[in-house]
Amino acid sequence: MSASTQFDTDFWKDAKSRKIWDEIIPGEPRKTLPYLLTLEAIHSYCRSVGDLHPLYFDAEYAKKSRYGGLIAPPSIHILLMFACTPMDDWMRSPGTINAGQSWSYNLPARPGDTITLQARALDKFIRKDRLFAVHDNVFFNQHGQVICSGRGQTIRPV
Amino acid sequence: MNENAFDQLAIGSALPSVPFAVTRETIRAFCDGSLDYNPLHLDDNYMQGSFGKTQFGGIIMHGMTNFGLLSRMLTDWLYTNGGEQRRLETRWLAPVKPGDTITPNGRIKAKKHTEKSRWVTIDVNITNQRGETIAQGEATVEFPHQA
Repeated sequence: MSASTQFDTDFWKDAKSRKIWDEIIPGEPRKTLPYLLTLEAIHSYCRSVGDLHPLYFDAEYAKKSRYGGLIAPPSIHILLMFACTPMDDWMRSPGTINAGQSWSYNLPARPGDTITLQARALDKFIRKDRLFAVHDNVFFNQHGQVICSGRGQTIRPV
Repeated sequence: MNENAFDQLAIGSALPSVPFAVTRETIRAFCDGSLDYNPLHLDDNYMQGSFGKTQFGGIIMHGMTNFGLLSRMLTDWLYTNGGEQRRLETRWLAPVKPGDTITPNGRIKAKKHTEKSRWVTIDVNITNQRGETIAQGEATVEFPHQA
C-alpha cells in the first residue's frame, strides 16, 4: 500500500477536531502513532528533494559503507512528523505556517524501522499580532534509541 | 573516508551545492514525500485569501523543502569526508513560489575539538534566482576520530 493511500490528503476533513491556539496546552503530550518506515517511503521523500544518494538507493553500495546498509537521510523527520501523528493533530491545521526549526541527530533511521514519536507543545506566545506555538519532538527506533530530536515554531491560523 | 578531512577544512570555505528548480510538480511531490498536504501547498483558491498581514496570491513551497535541501547539501559533502550531520537550525525569511530556483549555500564558520571528537559549525542559507535570502541558519557537523 502506498503512502498516499494510507494517509488522508484532505487536511480540511478533520479541521474542526483539531486544537486551535487557545486550546493548545504547553507540556501536554500530543497523540502519536508508531510508523513502519518503508524503503518506498524513504525513496518518495528523497526524490522530492532531488536526493538520489546511493546510501538511500543502492543496497550493495550501502552495505560496504560505514553504515553497513541502507539508511534514510537525516531530514526524514520531515516525513515522520506527519507519519507519526493522527489526522486530528494540530500540526495539520490548514494555514499552519512553519516559521523555523532546529533538529539534532543521533542515529540514522533505516528502512524497516518502526518509528515512535514523543511530542508536545512546549510553549505558545503572541508576537507581532501573530499566534505562535512551539513544538518539541523526539523520534525513536524500535530499539528505543533516539534517532533525532527537534523543535519548531509555527504561526497558527486564525 | 579521509582521517585528515577535518584538519584540511578552511574557515570561510564554501560547501558544494546544486540549485533546485521549484515547480508545481516538485511541490506536489513534496506533499507525497512528506505527507504534508496543507492547502498552502495545494490550493490556489485558498491561497488567494489573507493570512493575517500576509497575502501569498498562490500556492507556496513547503518551508521544510528548504530544510531538506540544506540537509542534502550537508550529507553529500559529509558522506565523502567521513563526517556526520549532527544539528541543523533554520528559519524562513520569505516564501518560495513555483518558477523560483533556489540554491542552498554553506560556509565553514568555526572548528572545535572536544574531549572525544571534532566539530564544525557552518553558516547556511538559501538564496533564490534574484539573490534574495529566503532561509537562514546554522549547521553543526561532527568528524569522529576513526576507531
